[in-house]
Amino acid sequence: MRAILCHGWGGPEDLTLGDAPSPPITPDGVRIAARATGVNFADTLMIRGRYQRKPDLPFSPGLETAGVVTEVGAAVTRLKPGDRVVSALMWGGFAEEVMAEERFTFKIPDEMGFEDAVNFAVAYPTAHGALLWQGRLAAGETALIHGAAGGVGLAGVEIAKAMGATVIATAGTDAKGALARDHGADHAINTTTENIRDRVLEITGGRGADMVLELIGGEVFDATLRCAAWNARIVSVGFASGSIPQAPCNILLVKNIGVLGFALSTYRKNRFDLADASMTQLFDWWRAGKLKPVIDRRMDFARAAEALNLLIDRKVTGKLVLTFDGGD
Amino acid sequence: MRAVICPQFGPPEVLRVADVPRPEIAPGMARVRIAYAAINFADIVMIEGAYQKKRPLPFVAGMEYSGVVTECGPGVAGVAPGDRVMSFEFFDCFADEIVAPAAHLYPVPDGKPLTEAAALPVGYGTGHGALEWRARMRPGEWVLVHGAAGGVGLGTVEVAKAMGGTVIACAGGAGKVKRALDHGADYGIDYTAEDIRARVLEITGGRGVDVVVDPVGGDAWEASLRCVNWRARMVIVGFAGGRVPQIPANILLVKNVAAVGYWWGDYREKRPAMMRDSVAKLTDWWREGKLRPHVSHILPMEEVTEAMNLLVRREATGRVLLDIGGEEA
Repeated sequence: MRAILCHGWGGPEDLTLGDAPSPPITPDGVRIAARATGVNFADTLMIRGRYQRKPDLPFSPGLETAGVVTEVGAAVTRLKPGDRVVSALMWGGFAEEVMAEERFTFKIPDEMGFEDAVNFAVAYPTAHGALLWQGRLAAGETALIHGAAGGVGLAGVEIAKAMGATVIATAGTDAKGALARDHGADHAINTTTENIRDRVLEITGGRGADMVLELIGGEVFDATLRCAAWNARIVSVGFASGSIPQAPCNILLVKNIGVLGFALSTYRKNRFDLADASMTQLFDWWRAGKLKPVIDRRMDFARAAEALNLLIDRKVTGKLVLTFDGGD
Repeated sequence: MRAVICPQFGPPEVLRVADVPRPEIAPGMARVRIAYAAINFADIVMIEGAYQKKRPLPFVAGMEYSGVVTECGPGVAGVAPGDRVMSFEFFDCFADEIVAPAAHLYPVPDGKPLTEAAALPVGYGTGHGALEWRARMRPGEWVLVHGAAGGVGLGTVEVAKAMGGTVIACAGGAGKVKRALDHGADYGIDYTAEDIRARVLEITGGRGVDVVVDPVGGDAWEASLRCVNWRARMVIVGFAGGRVPQIPANILLVKNVAAVGYWWGDYREKRPAMMRDSVAKLTDWWREGKLRPHVSHILPMEEVTEAMNLLVRREATGRVLLDIGGEEA
């Protein structure tokens, strides 16, 4: 099969397009003939050897693939050849075939295209799990969504609205804030020009935010502590700023605030029932028009290096999707 | 009347017993002749000037007490002179009398001594709220309790058992560990002699604990972070050990751990019904014999400095009480 290959730690310019053996089937493996695969910032870190996962070389980057099942392993019960699916991968997405794990692979609605489906591998399920299982977001509460124009953030905006919350979105530019508002945010804060704490307290009449989706870290996290409501839940899903948030316990104590870490993969391994129910809910919301994935652009997968550079140069809003011969 | 005054911020040595005017009764309020007052670690923080509630100096110190109602103001229902009650405030409890909102007074069951009553609300209330409201503890879960022989710790041990948990009690010294085991803990760890993380993993067969209740902070907190199960809930109750930890959020991520701050006292104002229900539940368990509040020392009001120093020197287990009016109050 054809694949984008990383032979040594480096940048996108070091990747090659070549032939690679089809991955062998595993007992709980699902072979997917790829139709669309998502490009993520983590891919740029992984090919440099700077991600928390370090595959053996050579490998193909790529964390999320949608396509058609062609073969399933002996222990697989939920899926069969012919199923249209999306899967979250450890790596390997920039290839014509991937060997996915059953627990991370889900059937997509018949009406959903493969490119939209890519958003349902990680972004939507991460936002939903964070808001529901860790954040326990209730209707009528105020949700503060950081990085609201990014993959998980925008998903968080839409899902928080679907869950009946008032949504305050924060982002680095007015244009990103406008995007968040287009997707349902009631308020948008420009973190470059405005004071997060002051604006959140103003918007909430001094109460603060009940639930926060935190994926930036650094100063944004610090500002969040100061405008979180009593009994707030701050759910941390990552640190795009690179600066890992430090939560001082005394502030958490006096405000009765919780900081909760969220990792989707652990839930999919340990509580598949919850993960499966979440996917069902997400697809229902999508059918109802409440979730509208943003595709920045489509490119043939052979142009993966170019795609990664677009990401590095911050020229991407929404999901950048690589497609395979045959389209949708 | 007599009262313990804090004239300036500092250690327990700053406290003075003085004669002050009796408080005035008012609508909705009741006068209680105080029998016993409990010493809380929060009192020590308060007189240092570091507590999250503040009042101008000089103020009357004391947060927890038991006694007998002697007078009710206009509009008071459900409370009458002669009622034996227990309660908490943030100030004013180290005194012969207090005038408090009647709604703050919790009934003491017949046959239960006022000594135990003074030792129940804060320690057991804090423990119950930590487990019920903050950790949403379920029967069968593993609970690690720090400071397990202290006021909050021992209360938490007993409540966790009443709620069906399996309890690992962590304390400083064999005597304190034994006290916690005597009050129902399933396992004990003496942190002065054992490695907390290693012992917790050994006891739980490598899984780690589901809930941590931590009034100590510092090293206890940091050890706990490294021996929790996935989806664990770590409740931050206080920092009696002296060091306020920072939590790097990345440690919480992979195991989906929740680090939840918790200030029990605020719930009466913010969630009065939850507080009422909790105290009622605790009173039922107390009546049934499931909770046995432990008092290690009782000192006269005049010895309040020494009473507080028993906590500072870590010689207290359960509660230290001031005998103010005594049982016949």
